[in-house]
Amino acid sequence: MLPGERRAILGPNGAGKTTLFNVIAGDLAPSAGRVELFGEDVTTLPSRARARLGLARTYQQSRLLLGLTVENSIYLSILGVRKGHLRPVVLPRRDEELRERARAAAGRVAISHKLDEVVGSLSHGEHRQVALAMALASEPKILMLDEPASGLSRGERTLLTDLLLALDREITLILIEHDMDVALRVAERVTMMHEGRVIVEGTPSEIRADKLVHELYLGTAFGDE
Amino acid sequence: MNPLRWAPKQRLERCIALGALVLVAVWPALGLNAYWSHQIFLQTFLFGIAAASLIFLSAYGGMVSLAQTALFGIAGVIIGNLATKGGAGGTSKGLHLGWDPTVAVVVAVVMTTAIGLIFGLVAARSAGIYFLMITLTFSVIATYTLGQVTKISGFSGIGGISSYTPGWLGDVLAHPDRLYYLALGVAVAVYVLIRYIVRTPFGLSLQGVRDEPVRMSSLGYNVALHRTLAFGFAAFVASLGGILYVWWSGQIAPGNVDLPGTINLLVMAVIGGLVRIEGAWLGAFVFIVIQNYVRDFAVPGLSFGGTLFGGSFNTIVGIIFLVIVLASPAGLMGAWDRAVAELSRRRGPPRTADEPAPGPGS
Repeated sequence: MLPGERRAILGPNGAGKTTLFNVIAGDLAPSAGRVELFGEDVTTLPSRARARLGLARTYQQSRLLLGLTVENSIYLSILGVRKGHLRPVVLPRRDEELRERARAAAGRVAISHKLDEVVGSLSHGEHRQVALAMALASEPKILMLDEPASGLSRGERTLLTDLLLALDREITLILIEHDMDVALRVAERVTMMHEGRVIVEGTPSEIRADKLVHELYLGTAFGDE
Repeated sequence: MNPLRWAPKQRLERCIALGALVLVAVWPALGLNAYWSHQIFLQTFLFGIAAASLIFLSAYGGMVSLAQTALFGIAGVIIGNLATKGGAGGTSKGLHLGWDPTVAVVVAVVMTTAIGLIFGLVAARSAGIYFLMITLTFSVIATYTLGQVTKISGFSGIGGISSYTPGWLGDVLAHPDRLYYLALGVAVAVYVLIRYIVRTPFGLSLQGVRDEPVRMSSLGYNVALHRTLAFGFAAFVASLGGILYVWWSGQIAPGNVDLPGTINLLVMAVIGGLVRIEGAWLGAFVFIVIQNYVRDFAVPGLSFGGTLFGGSFNTIVGIIFLVIVLASPAGLMGAWDRAVAELSRRRGPPRTADEPAPGPGS
């Protein structure tokens, strides 16, 4: 992938999309091949080291910090790629600066009104917003979103799409998404997977026109729209 | 968090805590029942400190450790070996190095924390029942090591430790109130320290590790290192309780840190509630009261071996434990939270931001 590229990974359930994410992020070791980030072989690096290189991701199952507030969750996301994880003292000026960033990230995904709520008490849609805020807050170079529109209302999906379209062009975006409206609007390139393999790659219009993609994933109705 | 929403609960809790603190602070000064101050309250302070180390790991780290009693005892054994001098004809085991007791305290705290870090290093990559079993193994290893290495302890243990207290503390046998106030001060300091730590970057990220270790790793955190350091901190806290314990009881032996001792500390923590640090002292208080009064509770004409329950003390504790846990899995603090939440249900959600979510051990 090229820096700043917007790529959607499509495919039916079980195609291996999330497994691919897990391998790239370092949550899963590959059985073959290698993973390169920014030209560096990171196959043996743990996920925390890849995060520090500038890789941020969300999970299909949100995997959020359910016992913490929204603000603290985003704060930890920002702190994660900085020094001071083990600091056993509060430094008001430094922490307030990070918290200000956390509040700004919450504002970007329209979750500011829930900053003081415990994440576990939020709705599914709000969980998605928190996950996205956490990923954005760390100011990643590569952002991997695993079904970010899942469970969102139509209005929230529009908000999400606008947000992704407005992302800094320097951020490389990889998106797994079943909502074709979101995926094909945001992506410049699309990779179609099936049973663990890449079967087609191309632009959104090429994907829309591909017969194999229709057979395996989109169905005949999508192309007629 | 909106402070206005939670002010009533926090205010009520602070009033109760302050009232309890004032009561125990003036108790000896007012010359009230000395048995309660030197037995019930003092044991509550020092076992509460040990239970706080367990609850810290559980509530904020999601780790239920069965090694805390062992660490508590290890600190006591180190003090016993370093500070005591041993007397002519004495039968007490130990090295009797006769060090300055203040130096012995520092060494005991540092060594116990280091042992805790080693324990943590081994256990940090496991979770749930496996973590529990590994920490239980530590406890058993500690018990048998102390018992079988007779130079440092032996099964009979080390006695007479109360006579070797630091000069700044003085003779705790002649002036037991000094130890009482020291234990009270240390208990308050431990409580304040833990409440502070959990708000720092280290404490917040530890809570993140508790909730989602995989997520925390993908955010850039070293999960195993966090767990290891948390274990070391908990060992530090437990060591303070262990040092106070040997000054109070005067002796330490493997019998103090064996399986029943380990379970007793767990019972205290569970009675108080594994989700809030305040539960440590509440649970210790309830346990110590039961231990002191149920054991000797006698009904004329209905007694076995001189007391109502005879040798069935542990059965009674077990029944009380079961009742509390079945009624409130989060212990007495959980029951309190539920009661207050129920009363204020219409005013807002029941959980506050600075109270940890129930860990896996709750």
